[in-house]
Amino acid sequence: MKESVEHGETSSKAPLSKGVSKGVSILDVILRFVAIIGALASAIAMGTTNQTLPFFTQFIRFKAQYNDLPTLTFFVVANSIVCAYLILSLPLSIVHVIRSRAKYSRLILIFFDAAMLALVTAGASAAAAIVYLAHKGNVRANWLAICQQFDSFCERISGSLIGSFATMVVLVLLIFLSAIALARR
Amino acid sequence: MSENIAIHVNYGKAASSSYDTTFAGSGAQHRKASSRDVPFLLRSGGDGLRRCMGLIDFVLRVAAFGPTLAAAISIGTSDERLSVFTNFFQFRARFDDFPAFTFFMVANAIAAGYMVLSLPFSAATIMSSKATGVKLLLLVCDTIMAMLLTAAAAAATAMVYVAHEGNLRANWVPICLQFHGFCQRTSGAVIASFLAVFVLMILIVMAACTMRRHHRG
Repeated sequence: MKESVEHGETSSKAPLSKGVSKGVSILDVILRFVAIIGALASAIAMGTTNQTLPFFTQFIRFKAQYNDLPTLTFFVVANSIVCAYLILSLPLSIVHVIRSRAKYSRLILIFFDAAMLALVTAGASAAAAIVYLAHKGNVRANWLAICQQFDSFCERISGSLIGSFATMVVLVLLIFLSAIALARR
Repeated sequence: MSENIAIHVNYGKAASSSYDTTFAGSGAQHRKASSRDVPFLLRSGGDGLRRCMGLIDFVLRVAAFGPTLAAAISIGTSDERLSVFTNFFQFRARFDDFPAFTFFMVANAIAAGYMVLSLPFSAATIMSSKATGVKLLLLVCDTIMAMLLTAAAAAATAMVYVAHEGNLRANWVPICLQFHGFCQRTSGAVIASFLAVFVLMILIVMAACTMRRHHRG
């Protein structure tokens, strides 16, 4: 008797909750596209930096590229890996739109999303620390602010951080969406 | 006969008290004895596993509190004065000469405080079986904290790397050649912080797993 009453209640709520789950899955796909664009733009913008100054002095070399600073190399690599992962996970989240019954694949998606979030956060914030150092220098350690010489290089590396931070925020939203979808089942 | 069917329906709903009340007869004493003999964690099927994972969650939170506190304290008390000074170096290094280390210390202090504050919420999810809202809140806050800690640890790692190796192009001298103790302290603090990040990641994945398993009832 109790079971038949419960069955009646769930069948009347079914269309609305199915609509909400489909909405959540579609939002997931859209956010993945946004994150792909952000990570790709960051990696390309950082990877194509190349500035040569027309003069040179005794203390500063006259060419700057992203792989002169190993942290920026890590940044480019991390963003490329995250972009590749997001492109590969796009079919899986499209499958979630069609079949919202999937339990284990959502769990796998949350696991890898968390790992990629850690990677992109590490890359973006290490690069931010180096960019800050390049802008301001450090008085105690006697590190010169190289942005005063290489201004277009500096502008490039500062701008490419924005895409990476946007990817980070979007990945956090993706984890929340998957968790909500799991909790509603 | 009807009592047997009632037992089947109630199984797995964490209602071990209804076990005792629906049964009337000599079998009841046998059942009562066995439900008291079975320990708290293994009492009834899926519930025991959920409580076990809740306990692991609690223990991991306590375990993550240690490294974050240690990292914050060890960077906060890093202060080294050299006995020599030259034309190019100042002779003292402290954490607030490097903004990345200041951010690192603040983030680790916040994370340590959060770990302590989330302990009662974690205990509440062990006790009550219907606490989906609390679980979701803990998952959200854990994700934000993990992100903050990863960012702080990565920024400090970048600084420590430049301090150890220097940079040829930008003419940045590696200061670790002079400030040994300062460098060792900051490197150790960064390692401790990465340990805490790892534990937080495990907590996030476990919370997602138990959220999936819970809603069956």
